[in-house]
Amino acid sequence: MSELTLDAPALRSPSAEFWRRFRRKRVAVVSGCVLLAIILSTIAAPWIAPYGPAAPDYDNVLAGPSWQHLCGTDTFGRDIFSRILWGGRISLTVGFVSVALGGLAGVALGLVSGFFGGLWDSVIMRLMDVLLAFPGILLAIGVVALLGPGIDNVIYAIAVFSVPVFARLVRGSTLALKQMLYVQAARSIGVRAPMLMLQHILPGTLPSVIVYCSLRVGTSILTAAALSFIGLGAPPPSPEWGAMLAEGRSYLGVADQITLFPGLAIFVTVLAFNLLGDGLRDALDQRLR
Amino acid sequence: MLDYLIRRLFGTVPVLLAVAAFVFLFVHLLPGDPARLVAGPDATPQDIAAVRADMGLDQPLIVQFVRYLGQTVQLNLGRSIKTHQTVAELIGERFMPTLLLTVFAMLWSVIVGVGVGVLSGVKRGRWQDQLAMVLAISGISFPGFWLGLLLIDLFSVRLGWLPTGGYGGWQNFVLPAFTLGTAVAAVMARFTRSAFVEITAEDYVRTARAKGVPERGVVWKHTLRNALIPVITLTGLQFGFLLGGAIVVETVFAWPGLGRLLVDSVSYRDYPVIQAEILLFSFEFVLINLLVDLLYAVVNPEIRLR
Amino acid sequence: MRHTVSRTLLAVALTLGLSGAARAAKDLVVGIPVNLTGLDPADLNDNASQSAARLMFEGLYNLDEHMQLQPQLAESYEATEDAKEFTFHLRKGVTFHDGTPFNAAAVKFSFDRAGNPENHLKRQSLYVMIDHTDAVDDYTVRVVLKYPFGAFVNDIAHPGALIVSPKSVQQYGKEVTRHPSGTGPYEFVSWTADTLRMKKNEHYWRSGQPNVDTVTYRSVPENGARIAMLQAGEAQFIYPVPPELIASLQNSPTITVFDEPSILGRYVALNVMRKPFDDPRVRLALNYAVDKQAFIKVVFSGHADTMDSPMPQLLPFHQKQGSYSYDPAKAKALLAEAGYPNGFESTLTGISDTLAQRGMQFIQQQLAAVGVKVNVEPLEAGVLTAKQFNVTGPQDATIVMNFGAWSSSTGDADWGIRPIAYTKSFPPVLANLAWYSNPVTDAGIEAGLATVDPDKRAAAYAQAQAQVWRDAPWIFVDVDHSLAAYSKKLHGAFMRPDLQFYLRTDASLD
Repeated sequence: MSELTLDAPALRSPSAEFWRRFRRKRVAVVSGCVLLAIILSTIAAPWIAPYGPAAPDYDNVLAGPSWQHLCGTDTFGRDIFSRILWGGRISLTVGFVSVALGGLAGVALGLVSGFFGGLWDSVIMRLMDVLLAFPGILLAIGVVALLGPGIDNVIYAIAVFSVPVFARLVRGSTLALKQMLYVQAARSIGVRAPMLMLQHILPGTLPSVIVYCSLRVGTSILTAAALSFIGLGAPPPSPEWGAMLAEGRSYLGVADQITLFPGLAIFVTVLAFNLLGDGLRDALDQRLR
Repeated sequence: MLDYLIRRLFGTVPVLLAVAAFVFLFVHLLPGDPARLVAGPDATPQDIAAVRADMGLDQPLIVQFVRYLGQTVQLNLGRSIKTHQTVAELIGERFMPTLLLTVFAMLWSVIVGVGVGVLSGVKRGRWQDQLAMVLAISGISFPGFWLGLLLIDLFSVRLGWLPTGGYGGWQNFVLPAFTLGTAVAAVMARFTRSAFVEITAEDYVRTARAKGVPERGVVWKHTLRNALIPVITLTGLQFGFLLGGAIVVETVFAWPGLGRLLVDSVSYRDYPVIQAEILLFSFEFVLINLLVDLLYAVVNPEIRLR
Repeated sequence: MRHTVSRTLLAVALTLGLSGAARAAKDLVVGIPVNLTGLDPADLNDNASQSAARLMFEGLYNLDEHMQLQPQLAESYEATEDAKEFTFHLRKGVTFHDGTPFNAAAVKFSFDRAGNPENHLKRQSLYVMIDHTDAVDDYTVRVVLKYPFGAFVNDIAHPGALIVSPKSVQQYGKEVTRHPSGTGPYEFVSWTADTLRMKKNEHYWRSGQPNVDTVTYRSVPENGARIAMLQAGEAQFIYPVPPELIASLQNSPTITVFDEPSILGRYVALNVMRKPFDDPRVRLALNYAVDKQAFIKVVFSGHADTMDSPMPQLLPFHQKQGSYSYDPAKAKALLAEAGYPNGFESTLTGISDTLAQRGMQFIQQQLAAVGVKVNVEPLEAGVLTAKQFNVTGPQDATIVMNFGAWSSSTGDADWGIRPIAYTKSFPPVLANLAWYSNPVTDAGIEAGLATVDPDKRAAAYAQAQAQVWRDAPWIFVDVDHSLAAYSKKLHGAFMRPDLQFYLRTDASLD
């Protein structure tokens, strides 16, 4: 029989522990930095974009990449690189806001459902089942058909189909955490339900919520671009990335830069969110186990 | 087993009803007179009156809903505002192309996805695994419509090997099915790999190894069968993604299917068609999930006992 | 169970493969950009469906590939001096596809049916001038009009006036749009989703024709897909070819590119009853603000012509008016004079197809340069027509700038200007979307219609055109080209100047 030595575990706070593990995942860290760069550059678009999003140049239409136009120009001679920066603001806004809205609603519903159980749980979960009965983009299309096209309605549409996923996730965590000792303890000393939910349970659900948010933002950006591509999202002359791809479709084989660069922008951004989310999940998973 | 089946079936009914309710409420939630919306902008006053009577608008909402359910079951789904065909006829014409596309996409994504996932799991940590996972995560991050355009650009416009779109022989299926199935294949690959890895670490597998069962046997008999269970569930869930993805892919490849019909109808505000399509898509999705759940119960005996 | 599944899959795959492979020698496939809406000639508004109907139905007279009037089901006609009575002598020995004979009764039936307001057929406006139609004998028809209408023969050469089989209408009622029966060179076979199939009419009255065995229309909205179809030999004629892709087809050894001026004029109708478009200086300013040459270059890759009159150049009695040169400084000055030194905001509405969206964006950019900030509102066909025509009068109008186009589908000067510039053509009656009204213009239009004398008509239309040009209720943009492409093996297929596909009865495939 081997000797079992008991070492006192290193005393580190959970968040520091998490950071340590996360830092080890180089891919995720790189993704995080790339994302930061993307976000900052789109925010700074008004100052760093060489041209405006709608500035035409009729003598320079359909030009390939050059020093004056890093990504070439489109039908109207507009600079594609600048449009990508400007369009990024729209795409990223849609991604973040829709996930924030959907996440907020979903988390709230999940908490209530998991915490109170009973009728609340049945009703809320049934409702979530109904929302989940629609394939994602279909629900978004349905909402847009109801509200009309436009980027604002796209945000609501995507938020709506994000709700049930968050709700399910948080409900699961809540059910698990409800049984934990520290929650029972708080209850026994008379902490009221809202307090319990917010101060004791919610923080426990946050890690998985954050992971999910990252993955979800990627999906939202893809869905928003798809909606714009099929004509239900941002109308022209919006530089939204999906709308740019739709405009460039007529020029396949003639002026590929119009579809190539916005497509790359979408791909890189979504990939970064997915890699980041994966990294976060891996770093957190071990902690939860 | 039967007990579980019945319980599951009954559980689905309220969901289907709720979906039908949402679709039914659709024209009532829009601004304007529902009869006018359904009859279309070209309609004469007589047409609108006929539609109003058909929908029973002067009666309480719940009666209208029952009426709507009755009509739907009899496949009386109204008339398209744009082409004046019955919606049932329109959908009938476009059903096959979408079904075939979805099936082929599913086939390739399951075969390749699971295959790659298993390969990754077996060669865990080695370069095959790394490469496969890089491809997989790229696959789910890649905008499907861009992938479609790139493929058209390369294989149709530049090389001329395959048609740019439209419905026809097997050549027409290649690019759309590939595009549609890619994201799902990627998810399958990742999921299969992690299920595989988890199970290989499980005790009973270790036991089998310790007992001296050859590696091949371990992989195939124990790991695969058990890893397939969550994969089957995932397949069902991914089918919904395929249905949604079909909408975009059909638009890129000019595919005469249900997805493109939906997009055209939304732009055209062809409400009878929009309603019928949303209903159809959701029902398909719910029913597939039901099927998958039942299949899961068949494969995994533990569920039945609950 | 597994065997059945794989066998079924195999069968499916084989059927799909075979159906794609089998192609007989003389089959013409036409690639069109939209879905057909129907096959009842009296109830069609769109070019594609009309061109399809024209293959299965015929009219008393016909406009050939150059928009010249040719006798078809009628051999000759006489008109009274006051253009109020027209007598047609019909061709003998013609039968409908369903076997019934073509005669004066059939003509009367078709005209009465289409002109009857209670039938709510879309082309009813082509018949409003008819008071009554008489079948004088089996092969003579006399049409008496309520008022003089010099362009009547062109009017009935319109696809909306094709003669339908009375038996088919009696048999199918409203469904006749899916069971067409005419006297044309091709008979209806089937129409599903996006494919219309027609086959040769073995009993066609022109003996020895047609030479083509089948004609199939395939709706392929994707420009790239249509071109690929042509290049792969899956289609022999496609239209429209987007202007930016014409260059890539011009050097092909198997494909001929068709690039001719059309009679489709594009313009932005300004709602003259709303501020600020009620001020003529504003309208002139906008005309000076748009660089028409650049428009043609950017939007049409050079394949269009400038508009030098309210009526396109190819239309009879067209008279060149001049041009509003590109002069942004002058535009700004005019705007300031009118009280808008800092410009104003407005909304430009139009259809949502690629070309129109490009055009609207261009106009948006040009107007922005003189301080006029315009929001672009692209709408789908049904939604747009509802917005345009679901009105009772100018007070209901919700569109202030309409990016649109018009072509005279009768090939006559009257239809090229009356529906868009006449006081009595306000929506919902016709398409005067600028709500423009000027008694001088009206007088010119009426005079042109009241006689068949070409000199009198020339003078009348000169007056009308000059007045419209001066008043500038529109931004005059361009006159499109007819752009199509077809296989070098195909002979006798054209794009007419009104942008309709036209197949001569003696067309052939090598």
